[in-house]
Amino acid sequence: MTVVTGHNGAGKTTLLEAIGYASTLRSFRGGQKEALVRNGATRAIVRADLADGDRRALVEIEIDPSRRDRVQLNRQRLARPEDLLEALRVTVFTPDDLALVKSGPELRRDYLDTVLETARPRLALVRRAVDRALRQRNTLLRQAGGRLTAEVAATLDVWDTQLAKAGDQLVDARRRLVDALAPPAAAAFGRLTRLVEPLELTYRPSYDPPLLDALAAARPDDLRRGTTTIGPQRDDLLVACGGLDARTRLSQGRQRSAALALRLAAHEVVTDKAAARPVLLLDDAFSELDRATATALLDELGRLGAGQAILTTAGPVPDGIDAALVLQLADGRLTPVPR
Amino acid sequence: MDELGRLPGIGPKSAQRIAFHLLKVAKEDALRLARTIVEVKERTVLCSTCFNIGIGERCAICGDDRRDRTVVCVVEDPRDIVAVERTREFRGRYHVLGGALNPIEGVGPEQLRIRELLGRIDTDGIAEVILCTNPNLEGDTTAMYLARLLRPLGVRVTRIASGLPVGGDLEYADELTLGRALEGRREVDA
Ligand SMILES: [Zn+2]
Repeated sequence: MTVVTGHNGAGKTTLLEAIGYASTLRSFRGGQKEALVRNGATRAIVRADLADGDRRALVEIEIDPSRRDRVQLNRQRLARPEDLLEALRVTVFTPDDLALVKSGPELRRDYLDTVLETARPRLALVRRAVDRALRQRNTLLRQAGGRLTAEVAATLDVWDTQLAKAGDQLVDARRRLVDALAPPAAAAFGRLTRLVEPLELTYRPSYDPPLLDALAAARPDDLRRGTTTIGPQRDDLLVACGGLDARTRLSQGRQRSAALALRLAAHEVVTDKAAARPVLLLDDAFSELDRATATALLDELGRLGAGQAILTTAGPVPDGIDAALVLQLADGRLTPVPR
Repeated sequence: MDELGRLPGIGPKSAQRIAFHLLKVAKEDALRLARTIVEVKERTVLCSTCFNIGIGERCAICGDDRRDRTVVCVVEDPRDIVAVERTREFRGRYHVLGGALNPIEGVGPEQLRIRELLGRIDTDGIAEVILCTNPNLEGDTTAMYLARLLRPLGVRVTRIASGLPVGGDLEYADELTLGRALEGRREVDA
């Protein structure tokens, strides 16, 4: 494990954010692209030199909020962003993961889709098709102004077909993913909390498949509201423990353990399906944990086996961590700390 | 320089290079270029049948009696005709829609030349329509929309085979790939 220390505001999270960006072209902090560019600058550059055994890859990304990212892999322009995921995969742990359990369904859908894409990069195409078809359909619904002319009906028919084709594929993949995540998540949660009640993951769809029929049934409602009221964009992942909804019925400590279990399970599933071990990015991951949970998490990370891990911390290296390298981050520079 | 910089694919540096080049060349060379631009602009019109770019009422392809009028290749843009012609695989005629269904950009069936296409089915005795819209979501959706309109009319409706880069533009496909896609076209199940 590599540990990066530094004061708050030294840029530790930014460093992990940049590594994550070199894999997913998204920030795990969310937010607008503008936030990634230093004040006064017009663009940001991420450059990552990857080595895996004797394989090397150079990732270069130019982030300019006014246009699409320019991405190069080994100095070749990359046409399909999902190809980056073949070169680098990451699993991120942050104290903000609590929101994964606590807040609304959007973060949980995003969690599922990110794991799907990390495990099988081609699924990024399906997700993009869903997003695009949905935007087109919603625009059409708004333009219709609540009136269903023959032309609107015929045009809606084809957009429905497109949305349904991609949507059924995405939901099917999400369901199978939840089936794969549930056992390792329950096991990790049990070890983290020593609770007898298991953690349960259930995919909760917003409609009865197939999506095409559901869209037809929802059409009058959708026309009235000017938006698509059912579909993959309205589904949720239910997290429960002993039948209690984790969102509202668990203590914050247990919610945190549930979030850790989701991340650990994701790492396992991706490692398994992609036959490649993601780099663990642990952003101040121990700061909010009680001692027992911190120790249990360390055991969990140990179970994940060999692989690269980078931990940031504002304080000293947490107890029990066997750091191969400690780096101090100050004034934008990393320097090894002698031990 | 500002005028040149507005041309597609010309950045500020290229604009500067072209501007200095034009200042250096002989006067008649520069004037010939200017006259050509004016001439092309004044003489080219859209073909009244297929909406390809041409000179006069009918484009060169619609005016060529050796070309099969019963097979029509439907494309989004006149530039796509150039791409299909390069393959030398196609001996029929064309129909330019002028875009693809795209509500976000305000394009519905009314904004495309669909009525004109339907009008040609009987007049030209069209037996097969090959849907050559771009291999992306909007192009596929447009193809599906047209297939549903055309099939009840008893026309054979085919779509170029997949194998073209997904999400791409027809005009950037190389002629070999596009030729194979045309040859491997299949009947649409809409
Ligand atoms: Zn013509």
